[in-house]
This record gives sequence, structure tokens and C-alpha cells, in this order.
Amino acid sequence: MSASDLVAKLTTLLGSDGVRSDAVSLQAYSRDATPMFEGLPEVIVAPRNTQEVSKIVKFAHDTKTPIIARGAGSNLCAATVPLNGGIVMSMTSMNKVLEVAKSEMIAIVQPGVTNLDLDQLVEKEGLRFVPDPGSRNVSTIGGNVATSAGGLRGLKYGTTRNYILGLEAVLGTGEIIRTGGRLVKDVAGYDVTRLLVGSEGTLAVFTEITVALAPRPEASKYGVAYFEDLAAAADAVEKIITSGILPATLEFLDNTCLVAVEDFAHLGLDTKAGALLLFGDDGDLVSIEQSVGKMAEIAKSSAGCRGVTLAADIAAAEALLYARRCSLPALARLSSLSILEDIAVPRKSMAEAVKRIEAIGVKHGLRIGTFGHAGDGNLHPTIVLDKDNPKEVAAAEAALAEIFALPLEFGGTITGEHGVGSAKLPYLEAKIGPANMQLQRDIKKVFDPAGILNPGRIGS
Amino acid sequence: MREKFSQDKLDRCISCGYCLPACPTYKLTGNEESSPRGRITLMRAVQNDKLPALDLLQESSFCLGCRACEPVCPAGVEYGVLLEEMRDITWQGKNRPLIIRGLFAIVDSKIGMWGLGLFSPMARRREANKDLHLMYGCFERRLFPSVSRAVAKLAPEVSCSSDQGCCGALHAHNGELEKGKEMAKALGAKLPGTILTTAGGCAAHLSSVIGADRVQEFSQWWFKRDIELKPITKAGRKIRVGLQDSCHLRNGMGVFVEPREILKQLGDLVEVPGAADCCGAAGSYALLQKKNSRKVVSQKIADIKALNLDYIATVNPGCTRQLVTELRRARVKTKVIHLAELVANSQIQ
Repeated sequence: MSASDLVAKLTTLLGSDGVRSDAVSLQAYSRDATPMFEGLPEVIVAPRNTQEVSKIVKFAHDTKTPIIARGAGSNLCAATVPLNGGIVMSMTSMNKVLEVAKSEMIAIVQPGVTNLDLDQLVEKEGLRFVPDPGSRNVSTIGGNVATSAGGLRGLKYGTTRNYILGLEAVLGTGEIIRTGGRLVKDVAGYDVTRLLVGSEGTLAVFTEITVALAPRPEASKYGVAYFEDLAAAADAVEKIITSGILPATLEFLDNTCLVAVEDFAHLGLDTKAGALLLFGDDGDLVSIEQSVGKMAEIAKSSAGCRGVTLAADIAAAEALLYARRCSLPALARLSSLSILEDIAVPRKSMAEAVKRIEAIGVKHGLRIGTFGHAGDGNLHPTIVLDKDNPKEVAAAEAALAEIFALPLEFGGTITGEHGVGSAKLPYLEAKIGPANMQLQRDIKKVFDPAGILNPGRIGS
Repeated sequence: MREKFSQDKLDRCISCGYCLPACPTYKLTGNEESSPRGRITLMRAVQNDKLPALDLLQESSFCLGCRACEPVCPAGVEYGVLLEEMRDITWQGKNRPLIIRGLFAIVDSKIGMWGLGLFSPMARRREANKDLHLMYGCFERRLFPSVSRAVAKLAPEVSCSSDQGCCGALHAHNGELEKGKEMAKALGAKLPGTILTTAGGCAAHLSSVIGADRVQEFSQWWFKRDIELKPITKAGRKIRVGLQDSCHLRNGMGVFVEPREILKQLGDLVEVPGAADCCGAAGSYALLQKKNSRKVVSQKIADIKALNLDYIATVNPGCTRQLVTELRRARVKTKVIHLAELVANSQIQ
């Protein structure tokens, strides 16, 4: 179908204010937060309710038009770049919180609500929406569910998939289904809810999401420890966790990140250290005092520790968290392009994996800084390069292929929390095996027989 | 006239989208192209010849230029500069809005500036400290002459020179970036030492060109004087007062604590929800984009009304004008007053 027919038919379905196809709008939706991926859509639609979503998807099905549901476009795996043209369906107009049930500790939301808005709303009830991806102030719950977004509290609290109880979703045919519900216990049928979480818009479009909430902890406490190298930091992490503490926060920066952050933010960090470990916990005042105190002691007595400081107040804690949060932008300032990756390995292999990443950087003549979540082995190697230097770009591509192969040696994964998208699809089969890959393709066909939902991604 | 964007400034953006929730026009529309990240994507498309420059016209006009995206940007993108470049590239010749051409004509000519000051009861010309000069502002001297009078009364040491033109902020924000810089330099040469201004927008522009060490915005300057103020009372109680931040003062210069500290001495400071958000005046925006400007300010007017304030203090003449107009339209009795005037009122008592 020609682009102008597409626009005309969708306008008949939705009215003119929900459909845009001018050159400026199309350009603006040609990318997400992933560098180096771009593609122009043919039309942008903004549905206001489930019925409209269903109508649009049925239309796409009948005309075999590719369609991508998009939230805030903050994903880092090129999951929402319209590489095949077609329709971009912006879900940001469906941004209502439909219900907060305090006694059931659940909320029912439309997909366009942002993570932060939901969390701030339920805070009034003394509750918390636990998943906290770095993009939480902008990313939508729909997008969080589509990628099973993680965050800084993975070890203690899990990720988005642990907090989704039920979904209303539109299949690739336009049919509307409901999965799960309001209950903690519900084993009626296959766990389609869990299957849809992390499906990156390839199986269905979410129109209503029921999330589990948790009591809001009374307080948080943080500290920072410096080590000679990452292996020493990893040893300390191992000792902390085997001592019976399950900390909310265990984040690390390697020396490249440390130096970049200090140059940028001037926080007085020990830039001679090989690794920084940020540790912290949340809960009631007495228990966090105990757990964080114990973590500090373990770190201090660990081999290769250069020093430990506990944040005296909220401002000091904020400064420490800021050091971790600004790792990426601090690295990004070093050159015109930064590629942030997201592998994960078992915790015991973390130090070895980071060492190998450093070697990959040296081999290809690239600057790679690694930071990440020491508690759950989720590493974010970040390559900084000059985007106008074809040699560096080629070197980065070669380095990335090696970085994606690396975690598989340790029984790890090619993506811990960002998703597969287009960026990591070439590496997926190596991770999950040919039989599972075929199963993913078969599953995709059941949900989306015409192959229109986010084509070219998982299982397409 | 500029043809290309500064590539290094475009490269700074990592497209993370953290700016989206801070952007008033993204809040109004929910459209990516009306967000800072979306606009930078468009600028890149123009830079790489994927989009004709004139396709940027609509967004370059729709953007308020409030720079609320800058403090929330983890990568330190200088969006304000990129916007100025975008207007410099697109607002040329017949594409420059007529109103802007008119405003330029006034402040570009000696007669125009003379006319703005003619019969205006602004602060009288005087020579005092040679290294401290009050800046009258171009339209401020005509619209709100009582502001410069208040400052002159508060500080006898301040010199007031009649020979001063426009600082060029108007030009820089509206497609004449180089000229705007030249005008700032010229004003800096005319008024030696420290320039004291009562306009947040001018302060930000001027300091970006001639250096922050030579420019003092009123609240910044007064706060440092550390003079204790008497509370202002009304019907036997302290006044209830709120503040409207100036976008460029807050987002461009990081000044927002000082005016609040001063107001705390003058009365009961009530934090207006969204005090940091743009009021929609945005320089000439209220004239160019009347409808959108009203949409941006409507929630603020409702909030001010609900708080039942005696005064809403401002630190920039554009905001004063916008709030006076819109509060009057909504029949809200809260009085809009420049911070300097409120400080002067306290001194009188």
C-alpha cells in the first residue's frame, strides 16, 4: 500500500488529529536512544484507547503493514527504530493511571504512564513501584514491560518481570486478550503474561498493565569503597553476599569510568583506584544501619581495599549515586559517539569478564569503560569513539562481536536489561541455541500470523 | 547568517530522552518533534541534508526557548545555543516573523532606543560608582520604569548612564546570534565594571558573552549585600508571596535560591507549583505564539489563584508582562511585582 493510501485509510479510522505524516514528524520518529540505527516510518498514529489500538493493528494485519508500538523511545537496543517503514504507534497519549488499590498493593495503568509518575503517585499511599531503570523519569511502563527493564536494585528486588501481574493486550490480528489479573496466585493456563514481558512489541501491544507494588522502605543508606582492581572489588562483593546480606545497591565503576566521572563532576573520587564499589541498602533505620555497617567492615577487611567511606547524610549519598548515574554521560563527553552495551555474567566471573573487555579494547585500539551492577553481574561496557572515523567505527563493530561472545563462555547473556532489539539480534541464536530460536519464531507466528508487529526483531 | 549547526554541540546529545518530561511543548503535544531531543534529531537531519532547513521553521517557533531541558540533561547539551543557531539558520529574510523585525527596528536605532526612554519615569541619570552600572533594559525602561527607580533608590552607589543600548538578547534569541553577541560586547564596553540588571533573560545572555564576573542579576547582587529586610505586612499579617522563576536565570545561570531567600525575609514565601516552569512569556513568544503561550501559562494561573497570594514576584520583565496580562484576564487579584520593587517597599516601612 502506498504511503498516501496508508495515511488516508488511517485518517478515516482515527480522525486527522491522531495521524501524522509530514516530513518533520517522520524524521523525529526515525530513531530511539540507540546510536547508529535510523529508519523513516511512513506514518505516525497516536491511539487514545484500547479500541483504537485494536482497529489500527487489525488494519495493519489486513494490509500487511509493519507496525511498531513506541513509548518514550529511550531503549538502547534499537527496538523501536522503524527500519522497515510502516506505522509507528506512539502510546504516549494513553497515559492514565486507572486504579491504585492500596490494600491489594497493585496499580492498573495505561502503557504511556512514565515509571517515575507512577512511583510518585503510589508514594502517597506509602507504596513503591520497584523497577527503577536509569531512564525512569522518561521511560513508560509499556516500554519497561516490553523490555523487562532492570535497574539498580536487581539483586534484591528483581526486574520488571517480577512486578507484572496482568495485561490487556492486542494481538497481531487486532484481537484483544487479557492475561493474569490482580492476584499474586493465579495459575490458570500458560503464563502468557510472563511470555509477553520482554517480548519487545513482537507478540502483542499492551493496552493496560496491572503491576504489583511494594511497601515503601523507611530509608536508604549508602557507602563507597575503593579497590586496587576490580578483582579485589568482586571478592568483597562475594564476601558481602555470602555473609547473608542481600543489599539493594552494589554498583561498580572501573578506573576508566572513575577518571571520566571525576574529570566531569569533581566529586573528589580516588582516581588512582582500580575500581569503585558503591554499596547501599534500604529498609527500616535499624536494619540498614546494621547491614550497611557490616558491608563497610567486610569491604575494609577485604584484600586490596584502599578505603571506605559511609555517606553521612542524604546529600553525600546523592553525590555517590550521582557518580554512578553520570558514568555514561561522563564517558560520552570523551568523544562524539558512545556505544553502551549490556552483557551479564555470573557474579564469580565478573572480574575476569571485565579484564577480558579491557583486553578487547587494547586489541582494537579503542577506549572502553565498564560500569555496572556488581550484585547481579550485569556489565555495561561502553565504547567511546569518533563517529566520523571509519576505522574506529569498524574496530568498534569487531570489538562488539567479541564482547557479545564473551559472556557465553561464562554461562552469561548478551543482554541483561536493555533488550535484544535490532542491535543484538545477530547474536541471539548463539545465546539461546537453534531449537529455542525456532521455538521463538513459532511462538511469534501464533501471536502475529501476518508478521506485522515490530518485524525484524525477536522471532521474526 | 549561519548555514550549519555547531557539529560538536549536536554530537553532545546522546538521545537518551531525559529532557522530554521537562519540556513544556512536549507536555502540550506528546509529540517527539516538539521535544528537545526530537528537535536535535531534526537539526541533525538538516545538518546531513536529509531535511530542508526551512522544515525547521515551525518547531523553531514553537519552542519557548526556556532551556528547562538543560539542567536535566546528563550529557550537558547546550540546547539554548542550538536553538539560537536553529533560528539563525531558519529565521532569515521573509521567514523572520514581522513582529521580530519590528522589535529589531526599534532597538537597532538610536531614535528607537531614545523613544523607548522618552518621558519614561525610569531611574534618573546619575554618576556614582564608576564600576557599577544599572542596565535599564530596552523594553523594560518603557514598560516597567518603576523597576529601575526601585533599584536606584535601594542603592545610591549605582551609576545610571543614559547612553546604553539593548544587550542583544532579543537578537540572539531570534535569529541574529552574531549581532546579539556584538551588541552585548558593545554594551559591556559602554558600561565598565559590573553591570546590574533586573532582567533574568538579559543577565544570561550578557554573561554568556562578556563573562559572568561582569554581570549581576538583581537578586544575586542584593542577596550578597546581606541587608536585613523588614517583613511587609498587610492587614496586620505578613504578606503571602510567591515567585515566578526566570527561565534563563534559573536554567542558564543556576540562580533560583537567592530570590527565594530574599522573599522569605519579606513575607510568607509560598512555593507556587511549577514556579520553575516557563510562564509562556519567553521573550517575544507571547506575541508570536499567543495561543500556545496561553496554553503554557494556564495551569500556573490556576495555581496562583488557588493559593490566594498577595503578590507574585518576578525577576524578568517578560514574565511580569505575561502574568499581569493573564492574571487580569482570569480576574485574579494577586499583584505581580518585580522583586526589586518589593524589596524597595520593605525599606520604606
